[in-house]
Amino acid sequence: MKPALKHFFDSMGAYFARPGPESLERLYAEHPGWDAPRERVAVYGDFVRGHVRGVLEKVFPLVRGAVGAEAWSALVEDFTLTRPARHHELNHLAEGFPAFVADAAASRGLAPFVPALARFEWTDFAVFASEAPSPESVERLTANPTLMVLEHPFRLCAYVRAKGALAEPEAGDELALLWRHPARLVTFYVEATPPALLVLKMAVEGLSVEDVAAATGMSAADLRSSVERFSLDGLVLAPRGSGV
Amino acid sequence: MVATYARRHGLKPLGAGIGLRRSFYEELPRTGRALDWVEVIPENFLTLGGRSQRTLDACAERWPVLPHGVGLNIGGPDALDVDYVTRLAALVARVDAPFFSDHLCYSRLDGVYLHDLLPLPFTEAAVEHVVPRVREVMARVGRPFLLENPSYYARMPGGTLSESDFLRHVVEEADCGLLLDVNNVYVNALNHGYDARAFVDSLPLERVVQVHLAGHTRYPDVIIDTHGDRVCDDVWSLYRYVLRRTGPVATLIEWDQDIPSLDAVLDEADVARAALREVAGT
Repeated sequence: MKPALKHFFDSMGAYFARPGPESLERLYAEHPGWDAPRERVAVYGDFVRGHVRGVLEKVFPLVRGAVGAEAWSALVEDFTLTRPARHHELNHLAEGFPAFVADAAASRGLAPFVPALARFEWTDFAVFASEAPSPESVERLTANPTLMVLEHPFRLCAYVRAKGALAEPEAGDELALLWRHPARLVTFYVEATPPALLVLKMAVEGLSVEDVAAATGMSAADLRSSVERFSLDGLVLAPRGSGV
Repeated sequence: MVATYARRHGLKPLGAGIGLRRSFYEELPRTGRALDWVEVIPENFLTLGGRSQRTLDACAERWPVLPHGVGLNIGGPDALDVDYVTRLAALVARVDAPFFSDHLCYSRLDGVYLHDLLPLPFTEAAVEHVVPRVREVMARVGRPFLLENPSYYARMPGGTLSESDFLRHVVEEADCGLLLDVNNVYVNALNHGYDARAFVDSLPLERVVQVHLAGHTRYPDVIIDTHGDRVCDDVWSLYRYVLRRTGPVATLIEWDQDIPSLDAVLDEADVARAALREVAGT
């Protein structure tokens, strides 16, 4: 690459690292005689910053509402400065935001549940967009391949279900299960319950209803009912015609 | 004028298409309206599963699908993203696209994706930089490739070529096709004070394989290529001017902001189709 072109890219890179009036002046100082209107060049700085904000506001609506406008704006600004867009798919820039929030929470006085909520919202998106294909059919009970499990000391499933209408989530350990429904292709989430975990165990370990009934003394009819319910919800995938 | 690039590569005019956008994922594959082809932004399908993939497959069963990228970074200083190009090639093969396209711009610096279509300086050095990258992409993907003339709001420093000469040098030396965004021509002409028709006349129109049409937004000091409105009368007029010189070429209605109903976008495609039939004499 010719030095003049490299200089152009270097100067634009410095501007886009922190777009603003000062960096714009430094950019122009690198190119004496450049007569393009400054406000026209600033359009690009605004665009680039705006893409980060736009993605964060799309993926983390509940975090945004929970922290308030001022704290949210500061989080977005500071996260943008970390230059998070390292992937060709736009939404991936949000992947590091939960860790950023976790690191920033104490010093910024954020509510203790906010880092966990950020992780929950990112996982919601990651499950929705998971590349893991849902098989057309399975030969035996199978855990949904998009399933992700989160553990946190707050009742986040209820909070998310209420779309942040609660003041804040109740305290209490929660194991949250998130997966993409194989037919509806939207994210489902529930607080893990003993029946859900048992059905998952059956899927992962290849246990039949009869085996589990014999081992636990549970009613086979109740077990089938659980398997059927969680199959309909897509937490597990059942063979066609299996009767569950 | 004969679209010789298209003829050399056996590319036929496809008619009028629209872009596959998320708000159309459910409705578009089932539409009973006339539609000739669908354009997809490959970045939405390279690494995102679920609804994106199901909709893509459903569309590919009904129509030709043309990938039109925003992340190739053909003009940037970073090496081409091999993972991206590999996935892009797989997508092009999967939908059996007759050709694919991206923008003559840069979109990544120092490993950071800027997720915007940033203008290059109109220089011989930029031509020299871009041309081998275009050839590399075409070799890796193995299908005809088009570069789009981007909108730009400021001329970058150090320019030594006119915009049309810059475009011509790149597409001719790389031997790729031209995706002529007519709205971009219109917006650029107004923003930079030149004659849109004279600009069209100065382009290598024999390389035009596809046309984009879109709406824009007028601000007091600048017109922004927002893709957020209907195609305006002036752009329709310029489009017909282009068609009289190129003959029928695949034409896309782009609508990416304030997206209306699917029917409203298809109505625009109907207008384009009528213009294509008119110029084809059918």
